[in-house]
Amino acid sequence: MQQVNRVRRMAAVVLAAGLMASGCGLSGGGQAPAAGPADGQVTGTISFQTWNLRAKYSDYFNGVIKKFQVEHPGTTITWLDQPADGYADKLSADASANALPDVVNLSPDLAFPLYQRKLLVDLDQAVPDAVKEYLPGAWQGFVMPGQRDSYSFPWYLNTGPVFYNKKLFADNGLDPAKPPRTYTELRDQALVLAAKSQGAVAMFGQTPGIEDFGLYGVELMNPQGTKFTFNSAKGVELTELFKQMYDVKALLPEALTATYTGSGKKFMAQQVALSSGSAYDLKNFKTDAPGLYANIGITTPMTNTGKANMYLQGVSVSANSKNKATALAFARYVTNAENQLAFAKIVTIFPSTTGTLNDPYFTTDDGTDDARVRVAAAKQLATAVNYTPVSFTDQMKSILRNELANVMLGKSTAQQALDSAVAQCNKLLAA
Amino acid sequence: MTPWLFLLPGLLVTLLFTVYPFVNTAVLSFTDAKVLGGGAFTGLANFSKMLDDPLFWVALRNSALYVVGVVPFLVILPLLLALLVQRHIFGMAFFRAAFFTPVVASIVVISLIWTWLLDSRGLVNNVLSVLHVISSPIPFLTDQTLLLISAMLVTIWRGLGYYMIVYLAALANVPRELHEAAEVDGAGAVRRFFSVTVPIIRPTMVLVGALSAVAAFRVFSEVYLLSGTSGGPAGQDTTLVMLIRQVGTGLSGNAGYASALSLVLFALTLGLLLVTLRLNRSDS
Amino acid sequence: MSRTVRYVLLLAVFLISIGPFLWQLSTSLKGIGEDIYANPPQFLPADPTVSNYSRVAGVIPVWDFALNSLIVAVANVFSNCVGAAMAGYALSRMKFRGKRYALLAFILALLVPGETIMISQFLMMRSAGLTDTLVAVVLPGAVSALNVLLMRNAFAALSNEVEDAAMIDGANSWQRFARIAVPSVKGTIAVVAIFSFMFSWDDFLWPLIVLRDPGNYTLTIGLNYLQGTFASDQRLVAAGTIIAVAPLIALFLALQRYFFRGVGEGAVKG
Repeated sequence: MQQVNRVRRMAAVVLAAGLMASGCGLSGGGQAPAAGPADGQVTGTISFQTWNLRAKYSDYFNGVIKKFQVEHPGTTITWLDQPADGYADKLSADASANALPDVVNLSPDLAFPLYQRKLLVDLDQAVPDAVKEYLPGAWQGFVMPGQRDSYSFPWYLNTGPVFYNKKLFADNGLDPAKPPRTYTELRDQALVLAAKSQGAVAMFGQTPGIEDFGLYGVELMNPQGTKFTFNSAKGVELTELFKQMYDVKALLPEALTATYTGSGKKFMAQQVALSSGSAYDLKNFKTDAPGLYANIGITTPMTNTGKANMYLQGVSVSANSKNKATALAFARYVTNAENQLAFAKIVTIFPSTTGTLNDPYFTTDDGTDDARVRVAAAKQLATAVNYTPVSFTDQMKSILRNELANVMLGKSTAQQALDSAVAQCNKLLAA
Repeated sequence: MTPWLFLLPGLLVTLLFTVYPFVNTAVLSFTDAKVLGGGAFTGLANFSKMLDDPLFWVALRNSALYVVGVVPFLVILPLLLALLVQRHIFGMAFFRAAFFTPVVASIVVISLIWTWLLDSRGLVNNVLSVLHVISSPIPFLTDQTLLLISAMLVTIWRGLGYYMIVYLAALANVPRELHEAAEVDGAGAVRRFFSVTVPIIRPTMVLVGALSAVAAFRVFSEVYLLSGTSGGPAGQDTTLVMLIRQVGTGLSGNAGYASALSLVLFALTLGLLLVTLRLNRSDS
Repeated sequence: MSRTVRYVLLLAVFLISIGPFLWQLSTSLKGIGEDIYANPPQFLPADPTVSNYSRVAGVIPVWDFALNSLIVAVANVFSNCVGAAMAGYALSRMKFRGKRYALLAFILALLVPGETIMISQFLMMRSAGLTDTLVAVVLPGAVSALNVLLMRNAFAALSNEVEDAAMIDGANSWQRFARIAVPSVKGTIAVVAIFSFMFSWDDFLWPLIVLRDPGNYTLTIGLNYLQGTFASDQRLVAAGTIIAVAPLIALFLALQRYFFRGVGEGAVKG
């Protein structure tokens, strides 16, 4: 179509094409990153960019900014907030023009390429005392491969329970009180479910993602972070579990193409019996899928390592900021214990500061589903890991999905497919 | 001088904001540029990489199939629709607006609905199995070929309203007297269509053919969304534009390779356009 | 064709066309607690409410965004109608050296894959100091190649006689363009108007990249905020899309009578 594709916003899009014929480069990169502690007056104007939080939480952010400005007279924080889609594109354009906001909200996978271009401040160098204020697992989340330093103040964390549909379990020969705890149990129960329902009900809506390999206990990368290694015997084992499910229709046919969101919708439509989720999903179920909510079962994530998966967001400081002292002070302020706790209470996510998870809010189960999920998730976070390597790009994700689809379709064996995926990902990693 | 004054605004905008930046893309295609940084001259490395990239050939095949599958329908069906709504009868304004809605409705919503219709447990499969037409669901969205056909269906469906408007504007240029004269001669509706309407709107048919061919070759949203953003099982339904986005997207995107792909896409669409126009010239 | 057959056909296409739109409308009217993922889906809201619409305005400054969008869209319609009509006229009804190359430039521009040039455009706007302005949003699409070609096509279909007569009367090319040619292609101008309005109204990625201050954001960007980071309310999203689509349908209804004006009619008036 010649007319605009609204989809363009869905695809993270922008390709590059700079005014760069002669090696003047698309990006500003290359400038010396801040070395050593940043000093200087906390004063002046800086910009602070968040990702899609304005619509619902502007009162919170305006409050934080106001308090900071009062505590540090002479500072002005300009708050920018980007909408849900196109965040990577916006960052690409800004980074190319050397115009990243001073303080910017990033996830580890977005921080990695910016770090590679030396566009982020090394925090262990700039503020050596900050590390002790955050949970080690969270701080570690922004330590870049082959490095010991972190490039982002950890901000909010998330980890999810596994949700399942008790009615679909009960109707199809499974015990709703005994949801699967490991991937092997998932496979066993899935086979029962598929047989009883004659393929009408599927157990799961997705082929495994890289984090599933992590949860299964597969070593994803070598210790130096220079090569992927998920084509090990364990990786093959997990892939074959899913192949067995696919063959008896215990895995939805759409799993070959489904993304996380897609499989979540199938769960809401009660077409699959089990799905991993987040604490805040409960609210969605309540308002959007009350039929499901009535039968919702909640359990802990499947893991062979004893450690759950964790997603995290951070707040980084641009290496090109003209006002680094203020930027660092504000980034640290936004992510301090007090502000994180206040934010966690309004959003159903979890703070990354030391000790904050001991707040009664995260330890007291008042009997409601919400509190139960929250307390369980907070407990999980004590040991949770961000399994997804920071260098695992979206393109690598789709390579993995495509290769796994070949296995499901019987076009290649698990070993062949994983070998091929690892080879392609390594090539991209080295490029 | 006057003709150039007429052309000035259009030409200026086009050269400055489309042609010039594309020259940069062309330059990038000979480098190893990343979205962030890089940019050493690498000669034809990106192009030889392309020839070895199995996904490039898959994408090329899919985009070409798309043109073949979609263009004939988009040249003819919207014209018939335009003829249908051209007449002033009661409630016509309402119908015309209704036919236009798929054009303005968000493609995201459109794909949600079509997914829900064509899903393995979707409405179409449910109805067919209740009627015992089929024993197991038709894999509209999970079979490589059917997925592409389903996407074509959506493209044609959306294109109806869009090209209907282009035709309506052209049909308005068919002088009524010609129709009336033909009617007096006793020509039936079908004969009048071929002897009066077609010759006059022929250039528009060529235009629609060319535009829809170019658009079909660059198809993105329909396949992207119906395949749940994946490009189909094992990526076998990836199209050229999807591939360009996949490799060039995001902060770690490979701008050099994506630019090379864009350049090839550009050259191929140009070829396609020339063929369309040549075909038209030879049979007239 | 008999009237009945015509209506039957119309209704058939109608049902196929309008389905998604009604679906969206229905979702936007559903109350909290209605199952919107039910299978089979619920077509009619069980507990209809318009509160989703007022909630949209509560969550984002929808009117400010809409005003920005309107400014951009109107500017875009104006520049496209004028610029494309002028260029199209020159390309079809004037003889001059280099015409083929001018035409070629537009055809090539039509074929340029848009996404690959966006960062380049952004850097240009930056060096011109135009980032974060609505002008920068309008500029790259101010005269689109597609519209130029549509206009060229329309002017080419005009008969020579009337214009020749005017030429004998001593009218210069600007007068012939404005008084005779343009009124004869009102239908196509309406098409250009609606396409450029739609294009600019729907555009997301370019305004997102070139704008920085949320106060300058357009409606499409604004509505994207409704897809919450944590819990996204499908009813709000649906209400938002209806708000965004409504002006397009209204514009279509307002302009559609022009699609049916005959060419002779315009020429006679001129």
